[in-house]
Amino acid sequence: MIEVKNLVKAYHGVVVLNIPELKIEKGESFGLVGNNGAGKTTFFRLILDLIKANKGEIISQGIDVKSTTNWKAYTGSYLDENFLIDFLTPEEYFDFIGSVNNLSKGDIKKFLEQFEDFFNGEILDRKKYIRELSRGNKQKVGIAAALISDPEILVLDEPFASLDPTTQIRLKSLLKQLQKEKRVTMLISSHDLNHVTEVCERIVVLDKGNMIHDIKTSTDTLKELEKHFAVKTS
Amino acid sequence: MFKWFLSHQWKESIRSNFWQKSLVINIIIGFFMLIMFSYLILLGLFIDEILHEAFPDADTFIIFNSGLIYYFGIDLFIRFFLYSVPVIQIESYLHLPIRKSQILNFIFLKSSLNVFNVLPLLVFIPFVFKVIIPNYSGIYAIKWMLLMLVLILNNSFLLHYLKRRFIDKPFIAFAFALVLISAMLLDKFDIISLSGYSSIGLIYLVNNPIYILIPLSILIFVYGMNYSYLKSKMTLDDINVKKQRKEDSLSKITYFESYGDLGEMILLELKLIWRNKRSRTIINMSPLFLLYGLIIYPNEDMNKLGLLVFVGIFMTGGIMFNYGQYMLSWESNYFDGIIANNVDFYKHFRAKYFLIIATVIISYILTIPYLYFGTKVLIINTAMCLFNLGFLSFVLMYFSSDSRKRMDMSKSSAFNYQGMGATNWIMILPFFLLPILIWLPFNLLGIPNWGIATIAFIGIISLAFHKSLMKIVVKRFEQKKHLIAEGFREF
Repeated sequence: MIEVKNLVKAYHGVVVLNIPELKIEKGESFGLVGNNGAGKTTFFRLILDLIKANKGEIISQGIDVKSTTNWKAYTGSYLDENFLIDFLTPEEYFDFIGSVNNLSKGDIKKFLEQFEDFFNGEILDRKKYIRELSRGNKQKVGIAAALISDPEILVLDEPFASLDPTTQIRLKSLLKQLQKEKRVTMLISSHDLNHVTEVCERIVVLDKGNMIHDIKTSTDTLKELEKHFAVKTS
Repeated sequence: MFKWFLSHQWKESIRSNFWQKSLVINIIIGFFMLIMFSYLILLGLFIDEILHEAFPDADTFIIFNSGLIYYFGIDLFIRFFLYSVPVIQIESYLHLPIRKSQILNFIFLKSSLNVFNVLPLLVFIPFVFKVIIPNYSGIYAIKWMLLMLVLILNNSFLLHYLKRRFIDKPFIAFAFALVLISAMLLDKFDIISLSGYSSIGLIYLVNNPIYILIPLSILIFVYGMNYSYLKSKMTLDDINVKKQRKEDSLSKITYFESYGDLGEMILLELKLIWRNKRSRTIINMSPLFLLYGLIIYPNEDMNKLGLLVFVGIFMTGGIMFNYGQYMLSWESNYFDGIIANNVDFYKHFRAKYFLIIATVIISYILTIPYLYFGTKVLIINTAMCLFNLGFLSFVLMYFSSDSRKRMDMSKSSAFNYQGMGATNWIMILPFFLLPILIWLPFNLLGIPNWGIATIAFIGIISLAFHKSLMKIVVKRFEQKKHLIAEGFREF
C-alpha cells in the first residue's frame, strides 16, 4: 500500500506536482495519465526517492521512502534508460540486479527462462552491450530487471512506449497475470489511453501537477478519457 | 551559420551545471590561470637576459630560434595529454540543411583559438618588442611573428589529428618523447645539432618570406587531413559505434562471485573502467605517473624533501586521483538505476575503495625500483602510499558526492573527449598539496623526518578507522544523492 500525504514538488518556485492525498491499495493497478509536463515522471521519481519533495511524504507499506531504503527490497521499477548500466551485456545486468536483490545465479536463470517469449530472441546471447541495443530492446531489459526481484510494488513509466505491437500485447498480459496471481501493486504511467485502461483498474489524470480525475475503470472509461483530452487540445 | 554555432556553444558552456554549481573551483582555476599567464609574460620579458646569461657569447635571437624546435616538440607531447579536442554535439546538426563543411570549419576554428595556441604568444610578443624590433626592424618582427603563428597552428592541427587517431595508444606519445629526448642528448654532445638547423632554417625563412609558403602549405595539408578524417567520421554510424564484438574476458571472471554482491559490484567497476573509452584512456596513461620519478630523482637540485613528498603522493596516488575524482560521474549514465535499485550504498563504496586500494598498492610496488636513488625515496613513498590508502582515498570519496556533471562514457566517437583536459588536473592539485602542508611546519621546526612520520601515522590511523570513515562517506552520499542525480540527468 502506498500513501501520499500533502505532497508538493516545486522547481524554482513553480509547483509541478501537488497531491494533497492519495491512497493506492495493495494489489491495486494504478494508471497515471496526463499530457507532457503533467508531473507523471516527477511523481514516480518521488515515489522512488530519486528526487526530494518540497513538502509532504510518501509512505510505502508503512515506510517513509525518504527515511530508509528498506522499501527497495520489495519495489521493482523502471523509469527510463538512466536505469540501465549501458556497458554491460543484458545477462551481466540481470546478474547484477539479481545479486543486489540476493538472488542466486540459479534463480536468475529460472527467471529469465520465463521471459523467453517476451524477449523474442533479441536480448539474451546476442553478445551485445546494452548501449548497442535499440530503444525498444533496452526497454525490455529494463522492464524485466524491474520484475527480477519478484516485487510487491511495481513502478513503470511509459512501459509501452517504443515497444513493438507484439511485445505490447505480451506486456499487457504479463501485467494482468501479475495482478491476478501475485496481487502486485502496480503504478503505470502511459500516454496510450488504450493500453492503460486495459491494464489498470484505476486511472488518475494529472494536469499541471494536480489530480483532476480519479476513475475506477469501466467500459466507459476510455471514452471519458478521450473526451477529456480532446477538449484539452482544442 | 557560424553565428548560430557560436551562440549554441556559448549557451552550452554557460548553462551547464558545472559552471553554475562550482564557483569555488572556477575561482581556483581562474587563479591558477592568472598565475600561469603572468609567469609566461614575465618569461617573455626576461628571456633575453636568461639566454644571455646561459650563452654569453651567442646572439640571443639565434639562440631563441634554435630552441624553438624543441619547444614545438615538447609542446606536441604535452598537448597530447592535456589538450581537450573541441567537442560539438554534431548529432543535433546532422539532419539539418547545414553543409558538413560548415560544421567542420567551425570545429577547427574553435580548436585554433585554444589556450595552448595563446600561451606561447604571451612569451613571443614581449620578446618581439624587447629584442626583435630594437635590433632588427618592425617589418622583420612582423615576418617572424607570422612565421611563428603558422608554426603554432601547424602544431595545433597536427596534434588535433594525432589525438583523434591515437587517443587509445599513448605509447606513441611516449615513443615520440623518447625520440625527442635522444635528439636533445645528441644535441647536447654535439653529435647532431638539430637546434643549429632550427635557427638557420627559421632565420632563412624570415629573410626569404617566399619560403614561408612551405610551412603554410604544410599547414593546409594538416588541416586537410583533419578535415577528411573527421568528414569520414560524420555519419551516425561512426558516432554510435555498433560493431559486432567478441565478449571480453571480464565477462568470464568468476573469481568475485564468491564475494556475493560486493564481488559483483567490484566486477561492475572493473567493467565500467575497461569498457568505456574515457576511463580506459586514463588507465593507459597511468605509466606516465610512474615515470615522474625519473625526472625528479636523478636531478640533484630537485632532490629536495618537499618535492619528494609531492612525487611520492603523485606516483602512488596518480591513478587513484583520476579514478576517485570521477567515480560518481562515470556512473552518471545509470545513476538513477543505482539509487532506485536495492543497492547497498555502503557496499557500493566499499567496491570502489577496493579498487582504490588495488591501484595504490600496485603503483607502490612498481615504484619500489626507485630504491636505486636511495632508501630515502623508498621510505617517503611508503609513507605516501599509507597516506593515500588511509586518508586521501576517503577524502576523495567524501568529495565525490560533490560531482554534478554528467559524463557520457559510452560515446566512444572521435567527437567526445570531455573531461580529459587540463582542468581536471588543476582540480586535484589541492589533494597533492595536502601532505606538503602537513609536512611543512615540521620542516620549519627543523625536524622534517618527523613530518614524514606524521603523514605515515595519519595514514595508519585512518586505515584503522576505515569503517567509521566509510560510514561518514556513505552518510554524506545519502544526503547528497538527490542533488547528484539531478545534475546527472541534465545532458
